[in-house]
Amino acid sequence: MSAIPAELLHIIIGLVAVAASVGLIGLVMVWVERKVAGHIQRRPGPFEVGPSGVLQPLCDALKLVGKQLFMPTGADPILFWLAPVLAFLPVLLLFLPLPVGDGLQALDVNLGLLLILAFSGLAVLSVLLAGWASNNKYGLLGAARAVAQSVAYEIPLLLSVLAVAFVAGSLDLAQVVKGQGTWPWNWNIMTQPLAFLIYFVSALGETNRAPFDLPEAESELTAGFHTEYSGMGFGLFFLAEYANMVVVCSVATALFLGGWQGPVLPGPVWFVLKVSALMLLMVFARWTYPRVRFDQLLVINWKWLLPLAVANLLLTAFFVKLTQLS
Amino acid sequence: MEDMAKIAFGFYTLIILSGSLLAVGAKSLVRAMVGLIATLLGVAGMYMLLNAQFLALMQILIYVGAVCVLIFFAIMLTRADSGGEEAESAPLRQNLLALTAVLSVGGILGWLVMTRPLVTTGVPVEVAIEKLGLGLLGPYGLAFELISVVLLVSMAGAVLLAWERRNGK
Repeated sequence: MSAIPAELLHIIIGLVAVAASVGLIGLVMVWVERKVAGHIQRRPGPFEVGPSGVLQPLCDALKLVGKQLFMPTGADPILFWLAPVLAFLPVLLLFLPLPVGDGLQALDVNLGLLLILAFSGLAVLSVLLAGWASNNKYGLLGAARAVAQSVAYEIPLLLSVLAVAFVAGSLDLAQVVKGQGTWPWNWNIMTQPLAFLIYFVSALGETNRAPFDLPEAESELTAGFHTEYSGMGFGLFFLAEYANMVVVCSVATALFLGGWQGPVLPGPVWFVLKVSALMLLMVFARWTYPRVRFDQLLVINWKWLLPLAVANLLLTAFFVKLTQLS
Repeated sequence: MEDMAKIAFGFYTLIILSGSLLAVGAKSLVRAMVGLIATLLGVAGMYMLLNAQFLALMQILIYVGAVCVLIFFAIMLTRADSGGEEAESAPLRQNLLALTAVLSVGGILGWLVMTRPLVTTGVPVEVAIEKLGLGLLGPYGLAFELISVVLLVSMAGAVLLAWERRNGK
């Protein structure tokens, strides 16, 4: 039995855990989102199936699995089916370097942050392929919007992450978390509040969440890039969106909110609590703010987020150098 | 572990070769781009095998995540469909010339690899990012700056071309 190396076993166990939790998180998030949306709009949300409708997402998921898979005529068959798979598979990889607790990490690499940033870029590619291969004008328009949006919002995102990496002196998420203290005033958000704000806004843009959900704006583009997807083709995109939200919030937690560090309660509990709080914030943002227009979206990015992020990075570099000298 | 490395090498080689064949031979531009992406991912895998993780991740972040997305944008703007003017297959002579070009480069490289003695058989050591950064700004500073000048020139050139077009209207 000693043929399997321990590291491989570690990664396989991590992958299985991640795959299971992504499914579970997807179900829970659908329920939370529909409930929050309902209460914000003064209606009850789902309440028929199970207590307070908690089993509703499960029924929806079963329905999605059972539905027939369609492909429009004139679509590119290979690319059409490649896109949802490409949307979902890298997401599993993104979870691996996340430090859930002290030493509780599926893949201990010293470039974990970079790994997440690199593979999250594949999500855009899947949106593009889906929109283009559908042979549908709404799909193509959604894809075109997705490119302009994600290329723009990736830059302030990277710059804000870089500012934290400067302070922590490492691209290893576990090291960044260890560099912060137990109490809220020891977290990076106290020294980098602007970076946190920029990160959060760009993250909303990168994950295509409202108010920046223009690639799938249902009032203008039917459903944008996934208009033509039925059943689990759509299901995979849907699941990938929620999984991406979790990754983005987990990275924000690790970078700015002290990760698993916190008083009294054990580490993983704190991590899950902080991530849930950020996710809830994202859901609230979606149902509170109206969708921005496309020119507004780009103006927010190029005229506000980008210059602010650059200024923040320069200031951070300056102060880091100053503290090193003294 | 050595066998695993060899299997991984073969796997990445297969990805690179089939991806580049698709990139050159596909009728549809978007499929060609998917081939290009596969090739770039395969090269990233090769970097991983060389224990250059930073380089591999940068390859994915920049080439797959940014450059290919921009190429896709260009494809969408030009609306190049498979019935375009260069869609029909090339004449035999052109194919033969292309094959000769590929074989000559491959042949020279292959001959060099087969005849020269091995420089090292050791397992590659991972270089820390700090070392990479200090190297780029220290001993290799000039090359680093020159590359940035090349990028600047191409960017300025693109802006200039677009500017003239706009004024000429």
